[in-house]
Amino acid sequence: MKYTLLRSAAAALVFAATAAHAQVSVGHLADYSGPTADVGVPFGQGAADAMAWINAKGGVNNAKVNVDTVDYGYQVPRAVTQYKKWVGDKVAAILGWGTADTEALTGFVAQDQIPYISASYAAALTDPTGQSHKAKPAPYNFFYGPSYSDALRGMLTWAAQDWKAKGKSGQPKFVHMGANHPYPNAPKEAGEAIAKELGFEVLPPVQFALTPGDYTAQCLTLKNSGANYAYLGNTAGSNISVLKACKTVGVDVQFLGNVWGMDENAAKAAGDAASGVVFPLRTGVSWNGDAPGMKTALEISKISDAAGSAYRPVHYIAGVCTALYLKEAMDWAAKNGGVTGPNVKKGFYQKKNWVPAGMDGVCFPSTWTETDHRSTLTVNLYRMKVTGATDAPLNDLIKNGTIKLEKVTSIELPRKAEWQGW
Amino acid sequence: MATQSLLPAGDFRTSYAADTVIFPTATGRWAAVASVVLLCFAPLVLSQYWLSILIQIGYLAIAALGLNILVGFTGQISIGHAAFFGLGAFTSAYLSSKLSVPVFFSIPLSALITAMIGLVFGLPAARLKGLYLVIATLAAQYILLDFFSRAEWFTGGTVPAIAEPFRIFGFTLRGDRQYFYVVLVYLVLSFVLTTNLMRTRDGRALVAVRDHYLSAEIMGINLTKYRTLSFGLAAFYAGIGGALYAHYQEVVSNEGFTIDRSIVFLAIVIIGGLGSVMGTLMGTVFMVLLPEAMEWVSALLRGSAIDQALALRNNIAFLREIAIGLVIVLFLLFEPDGLAHRWRRIKAYWKLYPFSY
Amino acid sequence: MNTQLLIQLLANGLIVGTLYGVVAMSFVLIYKATQVVNFAQGEFLLVGAWVCWWLLTKYQLPFYLGMPITLVFMLAFGVALQVCVLRPMIGEPVISVIMVTIGLSTVFQAAMKWIFGTNLQPFPPIFATQTVGVLGLQIQTVYLMSLAVSVAMMAGMAWFFQASKYGLAMRATAFNQQVAQSLGISVKTVFAMAWAISAVVSAVAGVVVAVVNGVSAGLSAYGIKVFPAVILGGLDSIAGAVLGGIIIGLLENLAHFIDSQYLHWGNLYEIAPFYVLIIILMIKPYGLFGTKDIERV
Repeated sequence: MKYTLLRSAAAALVFAATAAHAQVSVGHLADYSGPTADVGVPFGQGAADAMAWINAKGGVNNAKVNVDTVDYGYQVPRAVTQYKKWVGDKVAAILGWGTADTEALTGFVAQDQIPYISASYAAALTDPTGQSHKAKPAPYNFFYGPSYSDALRGMLTWAAQDWKAKGKSGQPKFVHMGANHPYPNAPKEAGEAIAKELGFEVLPPVQFALTPGDYTAQCLTLKNSGANYAYLGNTAGSNISVLKACKTVGVDVQFLGNVWGMDENAAKAAGDAASGVVFPLRTGVSWNGDAPGMKTALEISKISDAAGSAYRPVHYIAGVCTALYLKEAMDWAAKNGGVTGPNVKKGFYQKKNWVPAGMDGVCFPSTWTETDHRSTLTVNLYRMKVTGATDAPLNDLIKNGTIKLEKVTSIELPRKAEWQGW
Repeated sequence: MATQSLLPAGDFRTSYAADTVIFPTATGRWAAVASVVLLCFAPLVLSQYWLSILIQIGYLAIAALGLNILVGFTGQISIGHAAFFGLGAFTSAYLSSKLSVPVFFSIPLSALITAMIGLVFGLPAARLKGLYLVIATLAAQYILLDFFSRAEWFTGGTVPAIAEPFRIFGFTLRGDRQYFYVVLVYLVLSFVLTTNLMRTRDGRALVAVRDHYLSAEIMGINLTKYRTLSFGLAAFYAGIGGALYAHYQEVVSNEGFTIDRSIVFLAIVIIGGLGSVMGTLMGTVFMVLLPEAMEWVSALLRGSAIDQALALRNNIAFLREIAIGLVIVLFLLFEPDGLAHRWRRIKAYWKLYPFSY
Repeated sequence: MNTQLLIQLLANGLIVGTLYGVVAMSFVLIYKATQVVNFAQGEFLLVGAWVCWWLLTKYQLPFYLGMPITLVFMLAFGVALQVCVLRPMIGEPVISVIMVTIGLSTVFQAAMKWIFGTNLQPFPPIFATQTVGVLGLQIQTVYLMSLAVSVAMMAGMAWFFQASKYGLAMRATAFNQQVAQSLGISVKTVFAMAWAISAVVSAVAGVVVAVVNGVSAGLSAYGIKVFPAVILGGLDSIAGAVLGGIIIGLLENLAHFIDSQYLHWGNLYEIAPFYVLIIILMIKPYGLFGTKDIERV
């Protein structure tokens, strides 16, 4: 009894002393060396640069944010032990990465009340109270961007329009392709459901592994089935193998990618096999696009590229936006009771159609609420265009227009309650 | 092949009971009891991070104990152990959340179910030797993993399986400080049971199968029975370890049971010392602390003078991986019989000091 | 039944299967000569592919120059590996040696990622025509090259083991090390040779895969595909390993055909070899073509 009294007295003293200019700590899990490093490096770099830029401008709560970036190589046990370390260090929030670690930590972050902003966009993370009965309540999980399911719903809506616009008659055929893992499978049910609603014929899904390999067999089946629209659920690395194999075999299908499935580096690696792939962008424009917020992004890019000449893939900008949302949530928390986990969570609910300061036209207006963590239902679709050999460095290819991202359209999905959580 | 004798030569016993005692010396007995008592106080003193490391050592050591029975005591090889670990985890999660079995019972129950499935895999494996056995267990690993990803009624599919937290007499034991005791109890039980197994008739039969199976068969030991039994036992321990893992995480997904984890289990058993119960614990501590130590070293290096000089930056992660691989390779080059052997040599040195030559 | 698709898939299986066969051949070579289960076989492919890519892109060497240089490098690499790491492990329990090869595979994977980066890199185009039509299926020209090279390598190996002095020495060592030593054969040289040849052969397979799919860490996965191939073909003959590889290639594609047309499970392509493996091992514990170890005393 005496011991606990002493302990709480000591804690109160410490709290009082540090409350005024409390140092804020943020954990950052990144994959710079593991199987998803090809997309993990630009995203992690974007988030790290944005946090460094925030510190250069004064930080949060008049103190620099202590960002601990850890490369966990997509090994879940390492992510879990790192998380435990951070809980001991009393971090205010964690910038997470992939589906594996996000899933493993959902239970823990809810218990320890630490907001986890992931780069995994699984729809199962969008239900904080469990009201949809489709997913476990995940009150402390956030992400910026449309979920995989909503992105696929958006792409299929466009696909239906595209079919009509091309003047084709009959039922278009849709097939879901990906590995048998939570990340590619996340939007499968949602995709096939809306495809049926929109009048597609849904073909049996085709599987291919998350590692690059030879997928001629899958492409032969694809060709044989006569599919018109195929969703590629894996990351860029294995999607490239499928694109190349299907080009060799001569498959005529419109590929639909997920946010991690296609980017400028992948286009360079796949060459003209990547031309024509339609995929969603989490940001309003790609690098050097025409938007007022690109100025801020260029400033942030200079943190790790002083010359300012590097071309940043789409994932970089998404990482920047994610970090900036966290920063503004922490700012709100600082003014409303201190930068602690529960307050940062409330900080995410501060505004509707929220764009971080200085990022207009780049980051999408996002809204998080107590009962709905689907931040945006706008699906911004772009098409990758490759017109020639891709031997040169990426900078040159972009400058001379060999690799280009063309805007296709922007689909605004209705915020249906029955679509939450799956 | 290094043969481990159950009792070192040079000890004098007068009765059979004295010969098969678990702790040959009083010091050993007191050291074991004292360490368990000390561990009971750990949650009051250590931080959550260190407790999570200890919990991880706990459930991995239990599963590795099973593998040691299979590899060290019976002389088989298995690189599919992580699949049974996963089977235990998913079974316990399924029993506790879908069938509402209290967690206290779902852990042993899932271990039994995993053991039965281990027996099923053990039957054909008992006929195979050497490389064929290695590859058959590799196939078992991939087949079970495939089953996990396709059996959505069992594992949940895209939404990971949920395991209920541990509840006993109305108290919920979750979080590092409380769950630690659950793992500690199971760890002590498993170790005592295994050490006891090795001094029974069946334990000696397993060792006989490993050392010279022809003579064992001549003596009347049924080879198929004991080889299958050891697979079942290995699966049982893996099931307990997996179930403890499941109720700690409260969320079980496919990604934690790949071939990499099987390799970690194998490394634990080999580095700890084949056929040594104490060696399993030492091997687990080694394999869990190795990545942490490397992470600590790389955190130190980050931003330091060496980092600037070699322009490492992000490549520190690769250096860490290379270091882990190198440590394993070098350890095996210089001490192929494992940590237990080294520990025994150290004890022997001090026992005979200063005449240890 | 969709015969055209079946024929195309089987043709694809044959072509991919020759690659598996080549890798299985190099695996069995090491196993037969030195009794070591090499878990780092996939990494040999990886190292060979990266070195060749580097020579072709950084130094702009033409393929007919870059490839032989790569092979010479892999020869030295195999010998160095055997001398530095495997030689001290002679006589240790087989499971410790397996663990050492696993540790080596971790080291090589990380080293390759460090030196060459984590992104997938496409191979510079080697042939003027990229694809050729065979049996109604468009296949990459490089696969035809790999077919030709595999056949040449198998013929070379057959001659080597039957007629040359070192080949006979290797067979003798594989049969009984002590007797071979007593005849004056240097077992150490034989071991080093086995590893060197295996590394070279794997490098060829690695380059072929890299030309089609680009170089990336995924090449290591071929090291796992090797295991069912080795069992199906039997551990005792190199030709059997090649046969096993081809069977696996055909099996995968046949399973994929059945899956996509009738069963719709989705993943038979990856898992069918393992199911077949278990079934074969239950019926024939020594594989399809392996010789049964005489155990009666």
